[in-house]
Amino acid sequence: MIGLGIESTAHTFSCAVIEKNGKKGKILSDVREIYRPPKGEGIHPREASRHHIENSPTVLSDCLKEAKITIKDLDIISYAAGPGLGPCLRVGAVVARSLASYYDIPIYPVNHAIGHIELGKLLTGAKNPLVLLVSGGHTMLLAFLNKQWRVFGETLDITLGQLLDQFGRSIGLASPCGRNIEELAKTSSKYVTLPYSVKGNDVSYSGLLSATKSIVQNSKADACFSLQETAFAMVSEAVERALSFTRKKELLIVGGVAANKRLSEMLKNVCKRHGCKFFISPQKFAGDCGSQICWTGLLENQVKKGVSLENTFVTQSWRLDSVKINY
Amino acid sequence: MQLITKGAEADIYITKWNDYKAILKIRKTKNYRNPILDSNLRKQRTIKESQTISKVKLYGIPAPLVYFVNLKKSFIIMQHIPGKPIHDLSDSKIVFLSKQMGNLVGLMHKNGIMHGDLTTSNFILFKNKVYVIDFGLSQKTTKPEDHAVDLRLIKEILNSAHATIMKQAWKNFLVGYKSVVGTSKFLRITNLVLEIESRGRYATVV
Repeated sequence: MIGLGIESTAHTFSCAVIEKNGKKGKILSDVREIYRPPKGEGIHPREASRHHIENSPTVLSDCLKEAKITIKDLDIISYAAGPGLGPCLRVGAVVARSLASYYDIPIYPVNHAIGHIELGKLLTGAKNPLVLLVSGGHTMLLAFLNKQWRVFGETLDITLGQLLDQFGRSIGLASPCGRNIEELAKTSSKYVTLPYSVKGNDVSYSGLLSATKSIVQNSKADACFSLQETAFAMVSEAVERALSFTRKKELLIVGGVAANKRLSEMLKNVCKRHGCKFFISPQKFAGDCGSQICWTGLLENQVKKGVSLENTFVTQSWRLDSVKINY
Repeated sequence: MQLITKGAEADIYITKWNDYKAILKIRKTKNYRNPILDSNLRKQRTIKESQTISKVKLYGIPAPLVYFVNLKKSFIIMQHIPGKPIHDLSDSKIVFLSKQMGNLVGLMHKNGIMHGDLTTSNFILFKNKVYVIDFGLSQKTTKPEDHAVDLRLIKEILNSAHATIMKQAWKNFLVGYKSVVGTSKFLRITNLVLEIESRGRYATVV
């Protein structure tokens, strides 16, 4: 079974081909182009969608070429139907619909966030983990129960990715800012006390964002260091709470922010404390990519036929805990 | 001393205090955290917890007695409640006891206290009485928003860990809560809960 997956929820346009054999999946190709807004600015949905439109033909053909297949070899096509930015989502959906209808291939709308989790499970081999999904769109703690991913904790306002990006942009960095902030933070070890807000298993980052902006005039490096230390300690505590509440013996970290070394170091330590196995998406597949969409589509294919063209929706708001999972 | 649980925040040991069986709750250093942040949090929470535990008993909320507090090492020695966490009881029991949990939370809120970590593991059933524990994240506050955050958390927990009985348990919880705080506060807070949920990521259709 060979699938094509198309991701276009935010800054990344990506196509991937995966070959599925039983429970095993092999990524044959994963090609992406990332929209980069000017320094100090965030994603402009119209500009991002224009970027996706302009890049979609080459990304698609490169992806097929790399996988050494043609469109006719595809058994299914899946696309990210949400959550994400409307104009961006539409680009991926249009590409998927065109291919599906012209070549008569079954089509699957996929939840982007479920994609992160499923790909993480495939690549790490985690069986029954507590999942920490940390990205620009999500900061959530999840566990699987009764055919659905259930939320055991999440951010009450902005996500960890937004916190890093919005702060980074305010000091003139280019988004996504995570890596630059991590580099700057490494040059300091001076901790400035910042608001720490954990509410049970939930976190709240908006106060931390404002407070960090207000200490930046003294030293950018100290601000970055203190921001990371505080924000990551908060999410680590939420993870500890959720681990001891759910008694899970595995932790899986997925999403763009999983690439941060300081965060993974802290969470590794948390796992050691709780005698639990630590899994993290490989850096290349932590962030948004076509593979996450492709693999989820292939899994859905086990239990349902594709949807008809008029049901190939996109939706900006689509919580992953509302998705029923039957595979 | 015998370790009984390694909680998220603290380790719990069984010990003795003047011949009574007692609990020692110690917030140990977490070396993944920045040392300044770590010592601030441990100290603050040890203070908060010991203060609030003592205070809630004045309002008729069953909670352990505090025997001894050591701020330097961040530990509290308190009464041992040899019951079972609500989390581990049968579904029908949880549904039944939800009303009582709602009652207790209502009592806290009515007296200006937010628990901060309302999960089904933090209520213990012992001799037909429900005890509240784990006040490390508690706060003195009369702000409706804070009280709503409390309710939202227990709702989230019911919805995730106890998904099959969520509806009935939540209904009973609210009945218990309302009977203490009165209709007008009840409406105010439950509306705020919906508002907080709607602020959640991707919660409503744009």
